[in-house]
Amino acid sequence: MFDVPVHKKRIVSLTPLIDVVFLLLIFFMLATSFIQTQALAVLTPAPSPEEVETDRHVVEVWVLSDGTHRLDGEVITLETLSDGIRRNLGGDPEAVVSILVEKGAAVQPLIGAIEAARNGGAQSIGTSRVEKIR
Amino acid sequence: MIDFDEETPRRPFETVVPLINIVFLLLIFFMLAGTLQPTDDIEVDLPAGVVDDKRASEDVVLYVEADGFVHLGDLVMDAALAPYMLRKFLDDGGIFNVAIKADENAPAHSLIQLMEGLRNVGVREVNLVTEQSE
Repeated sequence: MFDVPVHKKRIVSLTPLIDVVFLLLIFFMLATSFIQTQALAVLTPAPSPEEVETDRHVVEVWVLSDGTHRLDGEVITLETLSDGIRRNLGGDPEAVVSILVEKGAAVQPLIGAIEAARNGGAQSIGTSRVEKIR
Repeated sequence: MIDFDEETPRRPFETVVPLINIVFLLLIFFMLAGTLQPTDDIEVDLPAGVVDDKRASEDVVLYVEADGFVHLGDLVMDAALAPYMLRKFLDDGGIFNVAIKADENAPAHSLIQLMEGLRNVGVREVNLVTEQSE
């Protein structure tokens, strides 16, 4: 009566599939990023001097315009800065690390100083900018 | 005369299959291992850091470019002007979780000026975004 439709088995071409997979691959290769970012929490500097408590023990870190650091006036490398800060803090939980940044210094040495102070056990870290140190 | 074969032998179909396997593998790797992030249209080289204070979310991200210019949303301005624009910029949403992406070569004074401005509008803590250093 009816013609039974005969489905001829054809080999499906893989080429469009490969095209699409290549396209997806290129998309994911370009769109993904493997850079891990992290956040460093920093207290914003007090704009008025009244907010600054003056009766605390202060450890001063200078960031000079050439990117080098001074700890209480003495030359120190970034590697030894956190140990130096820990030593100068003397285990005083109230002590303040004050980071003075000279004009012309870049962000990277400042970040290094903040992290060194954090690693050195400083509870409160202040940043401020000065035109010229000495 | 020497007889040459007219037809070059057809390449067997199976040779593409290992290729597809590898491409699929790469595709799955990039899909799983990478993270898709919205791209920043502002070019900043993040400073390297180790300390990570993870915070759940940031309401707003401010940028400090290598030349010291500050991006507040669509506005670009000198760092000295940014404190005056912050109140209007942040007041709309009552924003207090602020992240700053500062270029590693940006002047640290611009960053500190921006943080001083943030303190003026009531932001006591900011997150400086750093890149994981090896």
